[in-house]
Amino acid sequence: MPRPSMPLRGDRPDLLTALIFLGLGTLGLVMSRELEAGTLAQMGPGFLPRVVCVLLILVGLAVGLPALRRPAELLEPVKTRPLLVILIAIIGFGLAVTHLGFVLAALWLVVVGSLADPGGKWQQTLALAVGLAAFGAAVFVYGLGVQVPLWAF
Amino acid sequence: MTFVDLLMLGFSEAMTPTNLGFCLLGALLGTLIGVLPGIGPTATIAVLLPITFFLPPLAGIIMLAGIYYGAQYGGSTTAILVNLPGEASAVVTTLDGYKMAQQGRAGAALAVAALGSFFAGTVATLAIAIAGPTLSNFALKFGPAEYVSLMVFGRLAATILASGPVLKAIGMILIGLLLGMVGTDRATGDDRLTFGFIELFDGIDFIVIAIGLFGFAEIIANLERTGSEGVKLAPLTRLWPTREDFRNSWGAVLRGTGLGTLLGLLPGGGATLASFSAYSMEKKISRHPEKFGTGVVEGVAAPEAANNAAAQSSFIPLLTLGIPSNNMMAMMLSAFMIHGITPGPTILTTQPEIFWGLVASMWIGNLLLVIINLPLIGIWVKLLTVPYRLLYPAILLFCCIGVYSMNNRIFDVVLAAGFGLLGYIFRKAKCEPGPLLLGFVLGPLLEANLRRTLLITQGDPSIFVERPISLTMLIATVVLLALMMLPSFRTTREEAFKEEEA
Repeated sequence: MPRPSMPLRGDRPDLLTALIFLGLGTLGLVMSRELEAGTLAQMGPGFLPRVVCVLLILVGLAVGLPALRRPAELLEPVKTRPLLVILIAIIGFGLAVTHLGFVLAALWLVVVGSLADPGGKWQQTLALAVGLAAFGAAVFVYGLGVQVPLWAF
Repeated sequence: MTFVDLLMLGFSEAMTPTNLGFCLLGALLGTLIGVLPGIGPTATIAVLLPITFFLPPLAGIIMLAGIYYGAQYGGSTTAILVNLPGEASAVVTTLDGYKMAQQGRAGAALAVAALGSFFAGTVATLAIAIAGPTLSNFALKFGPAEYVSLMVFGRLAATILASGPVLKAIGMILIGLLLGMVGTDRATGDDRLTFGFIELFDGIDFIVIAIGLFGFAEIIANLERTGSEGVKLAPLTRLWPTREDFRNSWGAVLRGTGLGTLLGLLPGGGATLASFSAYSMEKKISRHPEKFGTGVVEGVAAPEAANNAAAQSSFIPLLTLGIPSNNMMAMMLSAFMIHGITPGPTILTTQPEIFWGLVASMWIGNLLLVIINLPLIGIWVKLLTVPYRLLYPAILLFCCIGVYSMNNRIFDVVLAAGFGLLGYIFRKAKCEPGPLLLGFVLGPLLEANLRRTLLITQGDPSIFVERPISLTMLIATVVLLALMMLPSFRTTREEAFKEEEA
């Protein structure tokens, strides 16, 4: 995250962009340091990754440096609830679908995923979960032949 | 075979019950997601991509194409009736379309939009049929050097034509290129940037990135915005436009179609750019520009014709050169790849039934869309009352099944969730994730062609300036870069987009 400076200066979205670019560029350089660069005629696996990473770092600087001096623009506030709930629901689905089967995984995904938006009635959520699990099983597992066990036990 | 024979071949392919069925399904789905705000064609196609693996190649591609142009029809419906653009490409339609609806002319606006779109779709389909073979013959002369120059030029032009800061877009392309390099290097067999994960040795799946960045991230971002429920519908009256509406709109439809078809061809062009440009052009040449925004029929006709024309003509670079011009086409490219078909100049000779079948299906799809949208409009409008709370769990489930079903691996689901998080951060940083996808699909192609070129010349890069086609494109690239340095060009570009957004 960008440093909080005393008088409000700095275009935060652009600084965040620069941070992403610089971070990924550096990461890429570190990761590809053991790959051979080769020559122009016989490019090694490390040649293009390095070129791209250096360019990415340059672009990051070009975005970030002017943004430091621009008047302050704040980031949109982050709402943690939808972010965390949705990510947990997805990862849980991934774990559940192999170990518990499709039906339970789908129920988990819909019920937990629905928590991201408060204000829903639980009866409605439950009905939706059952309906979607049945629909998913019919269309994807039976209809399209996706290789997933419906029940793992 | 003559042109007519080929077209007949296309229609016979497109009219088989399977293909016709999937064309209808695509058009219906497209209309549906076009009507529903909060889910766009990019996310939908990302979700459905893995499913096309289970379908015959042509049927899958026909369905995905139908979703893209179908969304252009559906998007205008909500724009006109509730002042909510269902799609980005329908934003300008709200300006005059909703005003018309408030004046009790909703039916006329809808009809002009649908008929204008149909006309534009017909012309654009013909354009593909005519331009396809010509461009393919031209592209067959391309060697690896030309492909490298074309891709560099195409990507740069794409960043300039798309709205948003150019530098950020270039950075996103670079990230895409980097992601495209993850996995085993095709030329040497070394594994690159894999963090030691065996699951990454085959590279990252396009679908994982697309669903993460567009599916998951979009759901999270939509959930942050609350209070989107409770839409107010404008009353729907008689559907048929008056004779005066027809007289006022036919010129606009023609101009919108022409402009849209052209803009769809450009790298970075596509439906959104076309509708914005058509609206501002119509306003500029109109004899009563001050009336725009108060409910003039031209303000609906031109952008709606343009976005549909562009949605279809953007298939031309993909089908003839094998190079996608926007992120929708990047999706289509990977849909072809799933079935082992490489779009490009050779597709016309090796698999004419795919090319011509797709072209014919587009025209049929447009016809179906007019039927779906005009008499059945009431059904779509009812769908608007479905709250997002009931919608997003379904989208979430389809995304998860799609990602998981590719390799039956937990790893892919977790990785897609990671890309969802990344996409969310991109949104906070105000970075458009589209260029990343383009960089990702073109990365391996660019690297292979660059290596091949320099291997042939034994490391001498002067080949890029010695071959005329390549030189032309490199000069164009330099000119574009130079233009970007000029402050006056930069401000004009920013103003152009500002005017459109207003």
